[in-house]
Amino acid sequence: MRRLTWFNATSLTLGFAFLYIPMIIVIIYSFNESRLVTVWGGFSTKWYGELFQNEAFLDAALVTFQVGLISSLIATVLGTMGAYVLVRGGRFFGRTLFSGMIYAPLVMPEVITGLSLLLLFISIGLDRGMTTIVLAHATFSMCYVSVVVSSRLVSFDRSVEEAALDLGCTPFDAFRSVTLPIIAPAVISGWLLALTLSLDDLVIASFVAGPSSTTLPIKVFSSVRLGVSPEINALSTILIGIVTIGTVAASLTTKRAALRRKREQQMAEQASG
Amino acid sequence: MSQNEFAPWNDSAAKPLIQFQNVTKQFGDFTAVDDLSIDIYEQEFFALLGPSGCGKTTMMRMLAGFEKPTGGTILLDGKDISPIPPNKRSVNMMFQSYALFPHLTVYDNIAFGLKRSDMPRDQIDDRVNKMLKLVQIEKFANRKPEQISGGQRQRVALARALAKAPKLLLLDEPLSALDKKLRQDTQFELMDIQEKTGTTFVIVTHDQEEAMTVASRVAVMNFGKLIQVDTPTQIYEAPNSAYVADFIGDVNIIEGNATKDGDKVSIAWAEGQPEIVGTPSQPVGEGRVSFIIRPEKITISSDKPTDRRNAVQGKVLDIAYLGNLSTYHVEMPNGIVIKAQAANQRRRDSLPFTWEDPVWLSWSDTAGVVLEG
Repeated sequence: MRRLTWFNATSLTLGFAFLYIPMIIVIIYSFNESRLVTVWGGFSTKWYGELFQNEAFLDAALVTFQVGLISSLIATVLGTMGAYVLVRGGRFFGRTLFSGMIYAPLVMPEVITGLSLLLLFISIGLDRGMTTIVLAHATFSMCYVSVVVSSRLVSFDRSVEEAALDLGCTPFDAFRSVTLPIIAPAVISGWLLALTLSLDDLVIASFVAGPSSTTLPIKVFSSVRLGVSPEINALSTILIGIVTIGTVAASLTTKRAALRRKREQQMAEQASG
Repeated sequence: MSQNEFAPWNDSAAKPLIQFQNVTKQFGDFTAVDDLSIDIYEQEFFALLGPSGCGKTTMMRMLAGFEKPTGGTILLDGKDISPIPPNKRSVNMMFQSYALFPHLTVYDNIAFGLKRSDMPRDQIDDRVNKMLKLVQIEKFANRKPEQISGGQRQRVALARALAKAPKLLLLDEPLSALDKKLRQDTQFELMDIQEKTGTTFVIVTHDQEEAMTVASRVAVMNFGKLIQVDTPTQIYEAPNSAYVADFIGDVNIIEGNATKDGDKVSIAWAEGQPEIVGTPSQPVGEGRVSFIIRPEKITISSDKPTDRRNAVQGKVLDIAYLGNLSTYHVEMPNGIVIKAQAANQRRRDSLPFTWEDPVWLSWSDTAGVVLEG
């Protein structure tokens, strides 16, 4: 193992500091006794208690999770279908146009996406509320799913699907019993990505949300405009905690799976050798 | 081998299993298969041999149903199969990449096709076990494809393709991923399994040795056309063109002008050299001909042989030592190099000839093939 030079050590420290000091400050101040966010008044967990008393925050959190779940599921189904057609559909009329259009929302400024969706909902007379947020989120996160899924589809051996057809599957059966299990990891990560995007979206949601359906980011943003309350710090700390646990768990699982595969391969080679 | 008895292609009463009738396949401007007609009979082990891009894989994919012919018809058992999708054809394929389902065990891979057939549940287990036994992988039934070696995967792929007892089994370069030793063993096993199951096999390969070993008939293809379709012996000993001769094994091709000499021809091929006497299997006209002779049919000696009319002298230019054999490249006075092969019956340190040695090459009147052009 090479030792860190002073240059590398410094850049590493600076980099991590840049990334994590803001979060650490939020975490520290969430345990602040004082009502003033910038003045330390001793350790306390009272803001967590108050957070769980705050109906408005809890409602917003519930709406956010509902929207996230439903919209990410819709986005996953549509995005996977789109990716499958783009990668496997061969040449068909309008393919180039379609593939360009599916990636367009990736580069479209969110303000424009939000505004155009708002105009659409108004013109078709759909009342703003949870439904409109779900539709809007599904629309913009779908293309992320299809990017992730299509990269997996491109890399896997086409003849596996042909083998399924050859052995008596209808095209749909082949997709269900062979293609889907193989691309499942990509579909799941696409779904997680869509879920995350939906959970932290502020811009699009603020265009299409109605008075009855405030999501957590909107709620946080609007209450911060009235002054940062220590409750927000507590909420942020909880979210950081959830994300950390999720990330660590995911990377541990992948690492363990990789190790197991390696062991099994070695076993196979020994058995055959 | 019962090649002499098994020859349905010579029997005018035999009904072919597969008939290609003027089949053409185009991909855009590229013609992969060009107006091709051929009959393949039941229980044949038929090899499609050719360089990459010659159309052999396209022919196989048309049989499997993954490609539709642009023109012509393909009959299986007398019925046109073009409108039948791959999942409804009684044809199975073993893929070059094996295409095993990575998320299923070996057992489930083999059972995959059976579960989608009308076979009753209780018979599936029997059939799968029979297949596992046939290819000798019972031990690995519960492993996933990534937990077994390449040779074992090849067996799983074969068992999976055979499980539904198809009328026709297609093998796409089935052994190309195996190392040489394993490949040779597996070739014999393939022949054995083909004989046991009585299935018609069509194999696609670019490896001429493999085609010669396993097949009852070999079709040599180039540019989407069949150049020659015949038994391995005929392909090797009586190639119908310089292309086939050159593609299969090692060969000397000597061009010259022929004059008739009874039922033989004599070929003037170089100034000041005795003419070569050859026996054409089909009558050739006088004029430009190619004389084709395999290196192992040429005898190399230090003295002029007295019993043969075909004898030329040259000097050893190069020796390729292959262990069991040595190939001598002998340069004629006019610069032409003729290859001759001799078995190394003695140890290396006493090789009979060395570089620059003057040697005589000789062969019998019937050792070579005379082709027009």
